[in-house]
Order: sequence, then structure tokens, then C-alpha cells
Amino acid sequence: MIELLRVPSLVTVQDSGRRGYRRLGVPVSGYMDDYSARIVNYLVGNSGSAPLMEFLLSGPTLKFHSSAVFAVAGDAEVRLNGVPVEPWTSHWAKRGDVLEVGTLRTGVYGYVAFAGGLRCERLLGSCSACPRAGLGRHLMEGDRLPLGAAVLTGRDGRRLPEELRPDYSRGTTEVRVIPGPDTDHFTDRGMETFFGETYTVTPESDRMGYRLEGRAVEHSGKGAGIVTGPLVPGSIQVPADGRPIIMMRDAQTTGGYARIGTVAGPDLRLVAQTRPGRALRFRRVDAESAVEAVRGYRKLLEALQRALGKNGAVYRVRTGGRTFIALTYP
Amino acid sequence: MMPRMNFKPLGDSALLISFGEVIDEEINDRVHALAGAIEKANFGWLVEVVPAYSSLAVIYDPALTDFDGVRQAIERLEFSAERFEGKLAEIPVLYGGEYGPDLEFVAQYNGLTPEEVIEIHSRPIYRVYFLGFLPGFAYLGGMDGRIATPRLERPRLKVPAGSVGIAGGQTGVYPIESPGGWRIIGRTPLRLFDPEKEPPTLLQPGDRVRFVPIDEGKFNELYAAEWGREDD
Repeated sequence: MIELLRVPSLVTVQDSGRRGYRRLGVPVSGYMDDYSARIVNYLVGNSGSAPLMEFLLSGPTLKFHSSAVFAVAGDAEVRLNGVPVEPWTSHWAKRGDVLEVGTLRTGVYGYVAFAGGLRCERLLGSCSACPRAGLGRHLMEGDRLPLGAAVLTGRDGRRLPEELRPDYSRGTTEVRVIPGPDTDHFTDRGMETFFGETYTVTPESDRMGYRLEGRAVEHSGKGAGIVTGPLVPGSIQVPADGRPIIMMRDAQTTGGYARIGTVAGPDLRLVAQTRPGRALRFRRVDAESAVEAVRGYRKLLEALQRALGKNGAVYRVRTGGRTFIALTYP
Repeated sequence: MMPRMNFKPLGDSALLISFGEVIDEEINDRVHALAGAIEKANFGWLVEVVPAYSSLAVIYDPALTDFDGVRQAIERLEFSAERFEGKLAEIPVLYGGEYGPDLEFVAQYNGLTPEEVIEIHSRPIYRVYFLGFLPGFAYLGGMDGRIATPRLERPRLKVPAGSVGIAGGQTGVYPIESPGGWRIIGRTPLRLFDPEKEPPTLLQPGDRVRFVPIDEGKFNELYAAEWGREDD
């Protein structure tokens, strides 16, 4: 059991999200950055989709009421009983220990994972909170959350090499986008603007959608409105003002603005971690190469799970001035 | 004549099948018939199907197939184009008063009495074209144009669950408390979304709906039965 002592920002329980209820208008939800969330679960020996804690910008302070193994994902200062410990590394905590997670220096969402996962009430097959849709709530000071049963021995001391930690310090993040389906609602010049200019994330961005600022994308004579149609996380809608909105994990399942494109699955986490004021640039890819990218990304995650989760090892190999990551697993 | 299916990628894990950009009952029947056929075919790669007015999204696992694979599988699918009929759901509504604060306005705006608005609103059988916007929120077709009313200029911060509203030529029921700009003419005591039930929504895509006027006594009785455990 853990107890939240301080909750300075929006903190929720998330897992890989809901499946099978979108036809009833239920959002997918789930962690905004699936790379960070899965990796930090692997570090504590969980499956990638185990329920964990997601925080926005500032991490919580919590007290352990039993022994546990935890790990923190994010570019933040982490202290256990006041003593700094490394993020992206699994640590042992005793009953009574206090974990303080500081403020992210880069990126937007951070994660705290616990061996055995957070035990929570599943609604429609998932622990992911989406308060807007009447599913779960934000965590509050004083909340006590039970942990799933797990053998803790051997789960601490696992560390993700620095090369594999995400870097969100770039000025402009390039994101792959599959055009469509409503390209006929845009002029050629509008499409060129969208794929040529950079767009800045605005503060009106949350788990539902990221609103962008930049040169207006020109609609064709068909206009910005469509007969309401399906959306997926990653769908980019462009309303009449020409400013794109990227739908995120808690987005509604249908929408009425022209969809200029969809962010490639593995890149949606890059959008999620882009702070207001920072820029995105969109690169056009076709659906086939995006599917290849998804498969490559899944293979990387599977390899990392084997290496980090089961006493395998991650090695750095330097050769010819370049660094390679080598993974070994039993 | 039915328009052809038009396939387009909706990213790398979904594709969109469109029958054109129209709001039309026959085309919506086609959408639900196809959605049902895809779900019934038990494709190993299928994650889920999301129907809308005249298009549907097919969500697939890109580790197992890709855009062309899904398109070919669906083009080979046999599905009946006959009329799709969901269930008929009766939704009891207490119109006006504190539960329907905009009933008077809707009446005045359209040169009707509140009683006439209630009569016009509760007469048709509405079609659930699809669900979206919020869990359990039905996009209903079939409202009589005589009670069409523009949205509020300033949306309310909180519209209670069960509120029945009008926005332009559309009517709908808020399944959960939410901000909203619809003109609220009444409230149903029924729960349109309950995540602890299976299925979690009262309405399903393709259903039919009729609103039935009730009095306060009936409202309170039904409300206690539906929401009782929330009130302890």
C-alpha cells in the first residue's frame, strides 16, 4: 500500500487503455507516453501494460506502507527519504519510506511504477482514469492505493542506459504523419503549409487534445466542417481558423472537423511530451511505411522487456565513433 | 443505388470506410450492417469498429496486417444491405421546471406553447445514428424542425446527467454531467452510461428512441431505482 502525501499536479492511474468500447463513445485513454510507461514497468519487472501513476509536470510525494520496488520515468529529481536516487532505475523501498518526485526539467508527463502494479478498480476492462468521460478520477492527497502482489527480490537495481532515455530538449520535434482521410477539404497550398511550416504547442493542451499555433492551413471550397466521423488518438483536425488540433488519448471518438492526417503511432508520445511553446514539424509518410515503423517500435519494446525485465542486460557498444545498444537476454 | 465503399488510411492502425459525406438513413443502415458483419467475421487482427453517420473506422493490429490486408478482407465480406433495425428504447422525460430550464425559451423562440414543444418532441421515433462526444451520447436523427433552437451563447459549465437538450435541428441526452451549450428542455431519470454495467450504455448504435413525458412522482420513483446506490 502507498499513501499520497502531496499531489502538486494532475496525477492519474493509467494502463494501456480501453479496448472495445469506442463504438459506444468511450475514449481509449491510457498512458500519454507509452515508451516511458512501458519501460518503467519493465524496470520493476511488470508487463508493459501494468497500471501505474502518471503525473503532469510535477511529481507526487508518497509514503510506502509496505516494502515495494519502484521506478520513476522522467527528467526529474527523485528523493527517497531525502536522499537523491536515480530515475529510470528500480529501487527498493521499506515500510515508512517517503518518495518525493520533483518537477520535470523537460517533457510533460512522468511515471511512477511499482512492482506488481497499482491495484485498482477496472472499469470497462481498464484502470485508466478519464474523469471527463465519467471514468475514474484524479488522485488526491490522502489517497491510499494498494499494490499488486509481487516477489520483490531481484527486481531492484535495474537501470535503463542513458542512451535509451528519451530526450525532450530538442527545439523542434519531427513527427511522422499519414495524410488524410479528408485531404479534399484542403487546398494544395494548405497541405504544403501543414507539411512545410512548424507549429507551436499552446497551453490549451491536455490529455484530450493538443492545440497548435502557426500559419493557418487553408481549406478548400469544401470547408472545415465534415459530416461527423470517427477519430483516433493521433487524428489531426483543422477547424475553420486553420490551427490544427492533435487528438490525444482521452479524445472523443468522433469529430466534425476535417482530418488532415494522423500522427504515426510510435510518434504520438513525442507529441505528448512536447511542452507549450515548443515546436512540432510534420513529415509526410504513407500508411505502409508507418506500419513498418510500428512493427520496428514493437520489436524494440519486446527486446527491452526481455533485457530489462528478466535479468538480461543492456550493453553500450562504441565503434567507429557511433554508439550501439546491444541487448542480451536469457 | 448504394454508393461504393471508399477506403482511406486513418493512420497506421485504422482505416476509414466511407459511403460519402451525407446524413441519410439508408446509408447509416449500411454502415451498421457492415460494422456488424466485420465484428461477426472474427478477424484476428480486429481491435474494434467505430461507426458514425456515413463512415466507420476499422481499428486493426498493425503487427498482424496492414491497410491493404484489411481492405481486401472487407471487400470480400458478404453483408446484407437490408434494413438494419436496433431495439426501440423508451426514454421517460420530466419536461420543464428546474429540470428543463430552457423549455420556455424554446417555446417562445418557435412561437409555440411549452405543451406544444413537449408534444412535438415526444411524438417521433428517433434513430440513433451512432454514439460519440461522450460515452453513451447518441446522435439522434428525426427531430421536428418546428422546435429547432440555436445553442446557448454561453455554454453552461455543468449540465446534469440525463439532461435532454436541443441544439439547432438536433436533440440529445447528456449521459454524464458535462459542460454544454444545448437548450435543456427536460431530464430523464434513466442512466445512459454506467461503466459497471455490460453493456455500459442504454443505447447502442442503430437503436430507435422515443421520449415519453412523465410527471415528477414517476421521475423520482425511476430516479431512485436507477441512481439510488449513488445517494447513500
